[in-house]
Amino acid sequence: MDNIERRVFLKGAVMGALAFTVGGVEVLLTPRQARAQGVPFRTLNAEQVETLEALGETLVPGVWQAGISHFVDQQLSIRAEEALLEARILNVRPPFVNFYRAALGAVDRASQAQSNGRRFAELNESERREFVNDMRQNKITDWQGPAGSFIYVVLRNDAIDVVYGTMEGYAALGIPYMPHIAPTRRW
Amino acid sequence: MATNEKVDVAIVGAGASGSVFAAVLAKAGKKVVVLEQGPDWQLSDLISSDFWGRRLRTAGAPFLLEGKNPYGYSGQSGWGVGGAALHYFANFPRLLPNDFKVKSEHGRGLDWPISYQDVAPYYDRVARDIGVSGDAKAEEIWRPVGEPYPMPPMKTFRHGQIWLKGFEAVGIRMVPAAVGMNSTDYRGRPACIYDGWCHVGCPTGALANPIVTYLADARKAGAEVRARSTVTRVLTNEQGTRVTGVEYYDEKKERRLQEASAVVLAAWSGQNPRLMLNSATDKHPKGLANSSGLLGKYMMAHFGSGTWAIFDEDVQNYMGTTGVQYMSYDRYGKTGRKGTFGSSFLTAGAALKTSELGGIANARPDLFGPELAAFMKRAARGLARINAFGEEMPNIENRIELASDKDEFGMPLAKIIHSYDQDAAALWNANFEEGLAVAKAAGAKEMWSSRGNMPTIHLLGGTIMGTDASNSITNSYGQTHELPNLYVAGPGIFPTEGASNPTYTIFALSLRGAEQMAASWSTVAG
Repeated sequence: MDNIERRVFLKGAVMGALAFTVGGVEVLLTPRQARAQGVPFRTLNAEQVETLEALGETLVPGVWQAGISHFVDQQLSIRAEEALLEARILNVRPPFVNFYRAALGAVDRASQAQSNGRRFAELNESERREFVNDMRQNKITDWQGPAGSFIYVVLRNDAIDVVYGTMEGYAALGIPYMPHIAPTRRW
Repeated sequence: MATNEKVDVAIVGAGASGSVFAAVLAKAGKKVVVLEQGPDWQLSDLISSDFWGRRLRTAGAPFLLEGKNPYGYSGQSGWGVGGAALHYFANFPRLLPNDFKVKSEHGRGLDWPISYQDVAPYYDRVARDIGVSGDAKAEEIWRPVGEPYPMPPMKTFRHGQIWLKGFEAVGIRMVPAAVGMNSTDYRGRPACIYDGWCHVGCPTGALANPIVTYLADARKAGAEVRARSTVTRVLTNEQGTRVTGVEYYDEKKERRLQEASAVVLAAWSGQNPRLMLNSATDKHPKGLANSSGLLGKYMMAHFGSGTWAIFDEDVQNYMGTTGVQYMSYDRYGKTGRKGTFGSSFLTAGAALKTSELGGIANARPDLFGPELAAFMKRAARGLARINAFGEEMPNIENRIELASDKDEFGMPLAKIIHSYDQDAAALWNANFEEGLAVAKAAGAKEMWSSRGNMPTIHLLGGTIMGTDASNSITNSYGQTHELPNLYVAGPGIFPTEGASNPTYTIFALSLRGAEQMAASWSTVAG
């Protein structure tokens, strides 16, 4: 790695934070902080964010507050080589944003088709659970887009990362994190 | 095209196999340059985090995946100096004698042109070079006698020990796992501290990754490692009788020529055939060294039959190593399981983290919402896993081909086409059944098989070794039959795969190949 790249990399890692833009200035925040501060999204539109958050919360409770949409949005805005997304190890072809847009669109289209025009975020909790359970088994008819089972795998793992993959997540489960090189606070 | 000063040896890829070639040839006084596509990682980059560990996975041109069991390459790929061996688990089982003569002994698969006894001295040499912990004497119930490992076995933890009763009950002998890690300080590298982060890269140097072993030796001996250098073609002379160097793109994405007296392709089992196919000329119209038409053929993967169990005690699953504590070859016979064919290699005692594909949350991929949250709490203390790796027979239909799409350098992408046959599926299923029997006998409170899509682990074949150019791409040293100064290194040269994790054998074969190249330099270099 060249020196500049390494400095940015280590700075972000040590802070347990990612680079977000606030008021035109790049700052390092955790996704939870970025959500709390209402940092504008770079890549996803409002509907995509809403769907991602509703889907994420159905998959892994607590992920909305942990900043799933800010995490994914920020990760989609950087070079694929820099990305920390699970998509990277699930053979998703970069640019990853293509997959996320297609996946979130497929979820909403299927939801609208089977729920009187209601998008996924407009379903109640029990309807959301039923939808996800069918989606993970590819049981939703006339599905258009990436396979439902694969969307389930990718987004479930993103949500797991944000809730359970952090140092906070380990602490909540009572598991010692035991780092060699600590991502000092959260990652 | 800018031309670099000619070197003796250009090595494509700074992973396990390329590092060995670089060390041996640099020490032999050759001018060596290693061209590595990704970054030049340092130990300080290896942060203990599943998030950050993903930066060690491929960011190169994608491979297109086809077949009934598409090969899932990106999670196990490498990106940068050290290659996949920068984040490997360092399980170091050997192949066994029965792996080398499958065709002769069973009338199927392929034979190696060498035997276990040809490789065995190199296993011992590698153990001394980079440090292996284990109990060689205990392993000798399954294999010929060799040298003792230089370090005693690693510490064990409850999440490994707890399975022993179950294995014993079904008649399986487990012994301490051989691993490329330090159970004691070794050659200036410290002993392991058992924090379980091997899979995102070990920054202490306790795990024998290339950057603290052979690549460090290579650099010390004067080899140049040129990161961010993407090789796109191997170049040949007009007669098509020798290679003359490689074409590559540097960190500024400018095209350059690196002339060399010899070239070693150590870029990965998928990338090596891609490069050789893309280097076709009128003298080598089907790709380099491919008069047999076998270039890119016989791709193989391992499959794992994992058994999960929750025990009614704290098994400290977060401690230890991502590599395993115990191993067994008791199911390694090719016809050991009725109605199946191929070896199985059994392991127990891998440390678990919360996320990532092999982590706690993915032990039950069907769970989501409150049920997942409840499972995470339950599994955090009591979850443990055993695994049976299975062997796939070489099948000529499992192959690499060039695609019409191109990467940013104009090089065609490659397709990996892969399907398991019925024997492999039968072996996968049989191993699940026995895993559940072990879990039950071990006293697990809950137990289940890690089913789903049949996994594809490791990638082998594609540039197989054999006796001549009619049946293979290389000889047993990795030297191509048709171009004496072009070598291929890594698991791509395996004609069969056994069921053992491949990296120890990769190191051993690379050491053997590199020493042959150095010893016959005048012939190789012409």
